[in-house]
Amino acid sequence: MVRCMPQRAADLDRLFRALGDPTRRAVIERLREGPASTSELARPFGMALPSFLQHLAVLEEAGLVTSTKEGRVRTYRLTPEPLQAAEDWLGTQRDLWERRLDQFDEYVLSLEQEQRR
Amino acid sequence: MTTTEHAIDPTLDLVLEREVDVPPELVWAAWTTPEHLVKWFTPKPFETAEVEIDPRPGGIFRVVMRSPEGDLMDQGAGCILEAVEHRRLVWTGALGPGFRPNHSELAFTAVITMEPSGSGTRYRAVAMHGEPELKARHEEMGFAEGWGAALDQLVELAKSL
Repeated sequence: MVRCMPQRAADLDRLFRALGDPTRRAVIERLREGPASTSELARPFGMALPSFLQHLAVLEEAGLVTSTKEGRVRTYRLTPEPLQAAEDWLGTQRDLWERRLDQFDEYVLSLEQEQRR
Repeated sequence: MTTTEHAIDPTLDLVLEREVDVPPELVWAAWTTPEHLVKWFTPKPFETAEVEIDPRPGGIFRVVMRSPEGDLMDQGAGCILEAVEHRRLVWTGALGPGFRPNHSELAFTAVITMEPSGSGTRYRAVAMHGEPELKARHEEMGFAEGWGAALDQLVELAKSL
């Protein structure tokens, strides 16, 4: 099996850690509809902002979102490429297990036939 | 004026309850005076850029926050529902000033109560939500940390008054 290169493994660590939180997944779901400012994303829970901004920073480090500042407003956008990387990784695992299960089926069937003989 | 008892629903409400060693009169002053609110309301490293409060039913409650980088975050104008001096302050984002409904479906209502306790105050802040999902979102975003940090800042300010 192809092992992840170290750089790619670190990217996947960051990616799955970023996805492993309901607040961060909710931001991704919201940004699917289009870019949004910090204020829009945090609304109406302003007093929770310091914790919330840490969540946005985790998403940005994982490359799932990018932000740009225009005037005094920071706007966040979804960057879908890392999600593709996650899908590729999951796809590789699924293929491997499907092949393994196919081989297992064949093997068990052949054992059964041998025993009948 | 009689006050409404607000029953807490654990599936919809978040509660911050703490004994603080400043009297209710100072907690009230910190909550209802713009000059004080500016200094404590927004958890560091954020700041309060603008605040408006008119502590009477129908009065405005509006806070604009500023990030350490200078981004402004306007949370919109809310409405004071109940203001019992030194005892209870209730406001909501569901309504604007003068009880006019806001468009936001995401609003919550805050019930702040202060009861005398020795020389200090039994302080309770309840954030009431309309749906369990919204309560969960607020909790996960950092209700306890944010409101706790703001209360620490309130107490620090009140002690300097």
